[in-house]
Amino acid sequence: MEILAALIYITVFPGFLFLASYGTALQWADRKISAVMQNRVGPPWYQTLADFIKLASKEIVVPDGADIALFKALPYVAVASVSTAVLFLPVFGAPVYSFQGDLIAVIYLLTIPTATFFLAGWSSTSPYASVGSIRVMTQLFGYEVPLLLALVGPAILAGSWSVAEISAYFSANPKMIFFQIIGFAVSLLALQGKLERVPFDSPHAKNEIVGGQFTEYSGMLLALFNLSIDMEMVVGAALISAVFLGGTWQYSSFAAFAVFMVKTFAVVFLLTAIKAAMARVRIDQMVNFCWKYLAPLSMLQIIIDLYIKYGVK
Amino acid sequence: MSELIKEEELKKEIENKFAGSFYDLNISRKNRIWIGLNADKALEFMSFLKDRGYKHLSTITGFDEGENLGAIYHITDYHTLVNVKIRTPKNAPSLKTVRDIYPVCESFERELEDLFGIKIEGLPEGRNYPLPEGFPKGVHPLRKEVKLDELVKTLDSKEEK
Amino acid sequence: MAKITIPLGPQHPALKEPENFMLVLDGEQICDATVNLGYNHRGVEKAAENRNYIQDIYLIERVCGICSHSHVSCYIGCVEEIAKAQVPDRAKAIRTLIAELERVHSHLLWLGVAAYEMGFETMFMYTWRDREQVLDCLEMITGNRVHYGINTIGGVRRDINAEQAKEVLSKIAFLEERTKYYVKLATEEPTILARTQNVGKLPNKVALERNAVGPTARASGVKMDIRKDEPYFIYDKLDFELITYHSEDVFGRVVVRVLELVESYKIIRQVLSALPEGPIAVKVPWKIPQGEAVFRYEAPRGEDIHYVKSNGTEIPERVKVRAPTLSNFQSIPYMLKGDYLADVPITIAAIDPCMSCTDRAVVYDAKKGKTQVFDWEELRKYSIEFYKKKGVNFSGK
Repeated sequence: MEILAALIYITVFPGFLFLASYGTALQWADRKISAVMQNRVGPPWYQTLADFIKLASKEIVVPDGADIALFKALPYVAVASVSTAVLFLPVFGAPVYSFQGDLIAVIYLLTIPTATFFLAGWSSTSPYASVGSIRVMTQLFGYEVPLLLALVGPAILAGSWSVAEISAYFSANPKMIFFQIIGFAVSLLALQGKLERVPFDSPHAKNEIVGGQFTEYSGMLLALFNLSIDMEMVVGAALISAVFLGGTWQYSSFAAFAVFMVKTFAVVFLLTAIKAAMARVRIDQMVNFCWKYLAPLSMLQIIIDLYIKYGVK
Repeated sequence: MSELIKEEELKKEIENKFAGSFYDLNISRKNRIWIGLNADKALEFMSFLKDRGYKHLSTITGFDEGENLGAIYHITDYHTLVNVKIRTPKNAPSLKTVRDIYPVCESFERELEDLFGIKIEGLPEGRNYPLPEGFPKGVHPLRKEVKLDELVKTLDSKEEK
Repeated sequence: MAKITIPLGPQHPALKEPENFMLVLDGEQICDATVNLGYNHRGVEKAAENRNYIQDIYLIERVCGICSHSHVSCYIGCVEEIAKAQVPDRAKAIRTLIAELERVHSHLLWLGVAAYEMGFETMFMYTWRDREQVLDCLEMITGNRVHYGINTIGGVRRDINAEQAKEVLSKIAFLEERTKYYVKLATEEPTILARTQNVGKLPNKVALERNAVGPTARASGVKMDIRKDEPYFIYDKLDFELITYHSEDVFGRVVVRVLELVESYKIIRQVLSALPEGPIAVKVPWKIPQGEAVFRYEAPRGEDIHYVKSNGTEIPERVKVRAPTLSNFQSIPYMLKGDYLADVPITIAAIDPCMSCTDRAVVYDAKKGKTQVFDWEELRKYSIEFYKKKGVNFSGK
């Protein structure tokens, strides 16, 4: 029974089905909002769904020299790992599963899609895809450490490595949220890098390397990769809102769900604003920026949190 | 003609230095000097111009006068344009490259090779420019004997194969 | 790491027109680059030798979609010099006006393209929206947005009235405000600075040696602008600055272009405030006397040069077109070497390449178009057969 319940959690709610539909909706919101910011009309509400259906109906072409099994399996791995990650985050009240250290588990599960992007580009054996996947990896080393360090601050303050307990702590001490601004900003930028969005979208910069790591992907496989990025956006936003914004705020059931929606949407709105206001930076500049500014800033956040926890008595 | 001082000076200097090696030298208006030069003096003349500050080779125009083919080198110091006309017989058209003096001449000279069939001595082998790969060999579209209708026919018949 | 050769073009998202670059990459850095041109050869020069002078105006106008006025003015300048036509002052003023409006439209377009190549889509959208204002001006004066068709041998074809002048001035005032914003954005936004400073270096010496022209040369500190060096139209009577910058990189090219926009607004105001009275064209006979002429013109992208030779008939003996891009292309391999792959699009875009100008030159496709039409089924069969020959079979048979 437990296995069956877990499967339903992963595939239906809050897993794949929910994430896919909410992710698709958020992608539309992202496109529409950036369109309004750029003085355009933007797509109609069903555009993202239509894109998915159209892509899914297209032929899948596997390049010569690619490992067919690996090439085809990667998108599913990406989607599965994102669907699993959400189980540790508060969506409909408390998280489905929770244990000490699940914060690290979520980060780990969110790294798997990036690894699949790298393998996808590498196994495509095309020059554009190879350059793209090298960039994916380089970028991973740029944002991963600042992201992790930024999440450590709240964990220290709450004295726990569990996402649920961290959000419970902030729900109980809402004024502590204001001391987390630096960490929040760092994690937003790092998430932008993880989702490969402007200014950190050089792994698939279309003006330089066409489709980047996904150049050789087509049809359903590409649709799944795109979907996994949308879902990752939801999970990333949920993670940030759980760790920095108090998650679902100790509500349960529908009220909690409403809070979840509002907070994730707010985070996505910020991500969209960043995207609209900047140009793409080069990969070396990206890594420089992450190590020169983001990492020290998140260290500063940790020091602030340590001071609040042990210094202020 | 007080406003043509600079042009007159250059003209005089050319007349002194290159006496007998040009067949035409005139100033058509302010900033325009035309000179028809014998082919053997071409390189010497151009280094002379470059020393005088004429460092910008704007372009090379090929021409077909019936008996002769040729090229006009438009060289300028940004103000005054010197047009150096060099002829070469049509039965064996050939010009020396001016790469050593004006390194940028390469694509202009390839145009001469492609469109007029003038052999450029000293130009390294390279890709066709501007005609596409697979353009019929020996057809040089800007020569006067190439008529548009016939050119269309030749190209169409090639296309069908 | 092994070196990878990456083809950029002839079809590539960063390139608006067909050209080809072979880039040899060492990791992310470029160690060698070759430029291949000629994918867009249309044979305009040969076609021009088969049409009369008036028809050639409209042919030459179609050499390029952005700088159509530049090419026509340049060609007409040659013809008028040979015919010794005295062009009325009012016509010259109107030509200058259109030329500067065209420069504004071209530079705004370029600013958008450059932003897009940097991945800054918001700025791309903004500049292209504002560019509509100047296109509206051009449409109002000439009747067309892109191929204005306003020039004719001996003058211009349309006059401008007081109301139109007022409208142009109000739109220019709006654009001037917007341009101030772009100047601020381009010189202060950190991601733009990161992407343009020290990218695509072209030292002054190399720029001179490799014949850079226009804004590309001016951003390397070369003081060259044909409007100043060899004034045509009424530029000698106008007061404007020659913009140069010393940074020798893409940033300098951005700065030069946005500041040139400001100068162009100044010129437009001056032209409209002192528009001479009189006729707008003189009659020039169809047959142009024997002679030859060269005309140099400062197009938005740099020095445009045309050569026309006439043989006394109504058909020119030879027309030569050299667009600014061909001259600027010589510098590209130099600029690319040592750059990062990510800088390639912006470096190429920074010279504002215009391939249809560069590869101009035999228009024989008109007839062939018909025989090449496939219906969908035929096309499908053709493609299946084509790939079968290559050993690829998708049909499963």
